[in-house]
Amino acid sequence: MFRTVLRRELLHNLYSLRFLISLALVIAVFAAGAVSFVRSHAANLEKYRETRGQYLENMRALAGQSATELAVQRQTYILRPRSNGFMAEAKEKYLPNGIVYSAWNVFSFQNRSGSANPFLKRFDELSWTFVAALIMSFIALLFTFDAVSGEKESKTLALSLANPVSRGVLLGGKLASAVLSVTAIVLAGVLTSLLIIVVLGPEGVSAALAGEVLGYLAVTGLLAGTFAAFGLLASVVARGSNISLLLALSFWLVFAVVIPNSSTFVAKGLYPIDSTETVQKNVTAVFADLSKNAPPGSWMMNSGNPFLPQHELRANLQMKRLRAEKGIRDAYYQTMFRQFERTRLVTAVSPVSLFEYLTEAVAGGGYLRFRKAWEDMHVYQEQFLSFFKALDAADKDSPHWFNPNENVSTTRKPVAFEKVPQFEERPMTFAVRVGPTLKYLLINIFVLSAVYFLAFILFVRYDVR
Amino acid sequence: MIATIVRKDFLTNLLSARFVIGFVLCLVLIPFSILINISNYRDRTTQYRLDRDAAEKATAEVRVYSVLRPEIVLPPEPLSVFGKGVTDQVGNRVRIWLGDKPLLAAGKTAAGDNPFLASFFSIDFVDIAAIIFSLLALIFSYDAFTREKEDGTLKLQMSNALSRSTALAGKLLGILLTLLPVLVFSFLLGGLLVLFSRDISFSAGEWGRIALLFAASLVYLAVFVFIGLLVSTRSRSSVTSLVVCLFLWVFLVFLVPAVSANIAESFFGVASRDNLDRVLRDIDKERAAAISAAFKAQGIPEGWNCWRCSSGEDGFMETYGNPRDEFEKFRRRASLSEPIRIDYADRKWAPEKAYLDSLSRQARAAERLSFLSPTGIFRAVAAAVCRTDLASHERHMDRTRQYREAFIAWLRGKDIFASYRWITPAEPATFKTEDELVGMRTGGEFKTVREYEDWASRQKDARARWVKLSQVKVPGDSPDDFPYLDISDMPRFEVREGAFLSGLEPSAFWVGIMLIAAVLLFYVGYVAFIRYDVR
Repeated sequence: MFRTVLRRELLHNLYSLRFLISLALVIAVFAAGAVSFVRSHAANLEKYRETRGQYLENMRALAGQSATELAVQRQTYILRPRSNGFMAEAKEKYLPNGIVYSAWNVFSFQNRSGSANPFLKRFDELSWTFVAALIMSFIALLFTFDAVSGEKESKTLALSLANPVSRGVLLGGKLASAVLSVTAIVLAGVLTSLLIIVVLGPEGVSAALAGEVLGYLAVTGLLAGTFAAFGLLASVVARGSNISLLLALSFWLVFAVVIPNSSTFVAKGLYPIDSTETVQKNVTAVFADLSKNAPPGSWMMNSGNPFLPQHELRANLQMKRLRAEKGIRDAYYQTMFRQFERTRLVTAVSPVSLFEYLTEAVAGGGYLRFRKAWEDMHVYQEQFLSFFKALDAADKDSPHWFNPNENVSTTRKPVAFEKVPQFEERPMTFAVRVGPTLKYLLINIFVLSAVYFLAFILFVRYDVR
Repeated sequence: MIATIVRKDFLTNLLSARFVIGFVLCLVLIPFSILINISNYRDRTTQYRLDRDAAEKATAEVRVYSVLRPEIVLPPEPLSVFGKGVTDQVGNRVRIWLGDKPLLAAGKTAAGDNPFLASFFSIDFVDIAAIIFSLLALIFSYDAFTREKEDGTLKLQMSNALSRSTALAGKLLGILLTLLPVLVFSFLLGGLLVLFSRDISFSAGEWGRIALLFAASLVYLAVFVFIGLLVSTRSRSSVTSLVVCLFLWVFLVFLVPAVSANIAESFFGVASRDNLDRVLRDIDKERAAAISAAFKAQGIPEGWNCWRCSSGEDGFMETYGNPRDEFEKFRRRASLSEPIRIDYADRKWAPEKAYLDSLSRQARAAERLSFLSPTGIFRAVAAAVCRTDLASHERHMDRTRQYREAFIAWLRGKDIFASYRWITPAEPATFKTEDELVGMRTGGEFKTVREYEDWASRQKDARARWVKLSQVKVPGDSPDDFPYLDISDMPRFEVREGAFLSGLEPSAFWVGIMLIAAVLLFYVGYVAFIRYDVR
């Protein structure tokens, strides 16, 4: 029976005007997004290669000067523009994408200037995620808002239920058909987009992409299901399809437009953090304290002779400063991460926000990718430091007084750049992607079930005449 | 007759559920957006006061001219609680350097202290208005004729002695009359929230601009009503009309702006910032070489030796307690280097301007493309009315550059680069020779530098040499011996509001275009209705 209902509903959707318009619109937007991505990505890659070339050249030159020079100079590692950004851009151009490090510490992160134009109001890339979050959620509502109330008005609902078909099956069929119709439209868009990217793109597509596309389709199905459930709810709550439409649109406005755009307010209101000025003040205070308590002569400089006793004093002081500053700043970064993650959790009441967080995980980008690179960079920095310490230990002309900011009291011999361990961003594994997003997935499934269940209860009590 | 139709439509609409739901939407979303932005404005004002006080303190507490680098802090725009425009992204602090013209403003953006928050977008009154007003306009007009046709009342109505134009005009006025209260109510609500908030107050000119925003919203609303009517007269059934209208809505309100920004991003690329930084670094190197060459030509040695110096970027140099010759050397150095520094700022400006132009070209392209939709026009006009658009920001930045010229002219007017006041507050009459200084500092133990150096060369401990020279404190050895500079005649940057209507000429043009579009839509709708089969 379910199959009959599903077939009927699917055909009903397929032949409808809304399906045709949606299909045309979605294909057009997917195509525009793909073309736009191909061009921007090529330009971004070029800028990235240029900057990366400079970065390597600079490090090579430092290595030629001395291993210490290479170890103490701060470098900025830039994350490579993601080749599957067309799937979910995850607001990467507004997120930090550069990590500042040396052998001694991972200092900070920055949004490298130039990744976003400050004169252009912040906007979404036309990625698959954007299209689905905006259009697919809307279309899912359009397919369902009059599913019950509309049929009641056209008097077919009573006729349908005159057959041996349960109300649960009928409602389930409507939900399933809406999800399938939306997914079909998305699939058409996805194929169009992939075609354009394969033909015109500056890079080929990776093997992992197939899995990512499947993941994307699954998550989009979940989004469509959630909004379809909302649509059904609107449809059984209201007496006329007119009102259910307005209810559905109100849902949509609140969940797809208002809540995702209120996050900054939520973050600052619910989870305030210290200001950067306060943190800077704390660092300055600790520095002043360290300098005051340092043995006299700690600040005296003379780089000619590495074995001057003041170099040891200064090296000790600089190490203490590094540790103190690292302690304060790392704690501050943790509050930033917490503020961001908690805000996300609050905005997860909106299925559209949920969808964005889930596609970010599917595509392995955005905040998740940054966090992984940030953690990996810490591991790498330890390796880099032990490499440097081994080099220094082997140098008999070095006094081995470790100083994270100066080049005077450790090895002054050059090192072959090829031997120096390099940081390479590691691919996002399945566990890394799923781990932090599991809670979002569960929330989404819960919301979908709860809304559908409510719609079901109301439909059971619905007067179909 | 027309009054009867208007009254009937008005009442039908007023009593309908859509009116209630639309009204409730406005009731919830408008205060929400205004309150969020008032709180945002409050944070910005707090930050502005901190920054401004810090900047004023830094400017007031200088003892030599070389340290003077005024910082301009632009106050937040009160009208930004209605439309934020680009103010969230562009920063509001500009420091005046000798070696660089102001390029981009610094300062906290919407993300505040946490850069990750920059990935969360935000929404304001103008965004909500653009979304809700267009939606309501379409919701009330999509079935203007189709519904009545389906109910069979349209032909009944037309069987009276009623011309079609009267029927159309009545319908139109009925819809507009229904929407007008919603619009007025939304603005009143927004206005009241501002009025009763302790964190913000508007001047008369600002209320006037809100009135302009209201007028622009009215035109915007009308355009969507006409779109809805047109679709309604061209559709056979209400459902078709509805589907078409909703898709048009999503397309015009959400897709066109996003697509325009994407097209602008990929087809109007911006110059690479990293590349600009490299070019500027190279020019800085050239400048350093030019300064060295000038020193060489004048026979000034490169290094220096001073009693108490603090120096830094952009030629900043403050020094105390030096012998006369050293002071003279510093003076001559600055008199050569600072004019060169200023000249090189002009040279740097060419690549900087090219970079800025590429940013603004991209932003303008996105805006122009978005004018394909009334929403794009409305947003741009609203930002201009709220003085938060890119053009307003660029005017501010131009004025900071003009201020820099005025500041430099003021410095030059004092011939300050060739003056000792550039590097030290000490009076030239009080300068001593090196021998005199050594004598004074060691309490007469050594008569000449030579004597002291003979003694010093026999000392193993570097600290002992230093301690010997610190035995007697000579007046003028430290900054605390001098008062702060009197800079009351320094030109000040004034935040000018401009005339009431200034900067609105392009907006007036585009509102005019929207009006013309509205009239055209109305005409096409009218023709379609004349030919409409009312049965």
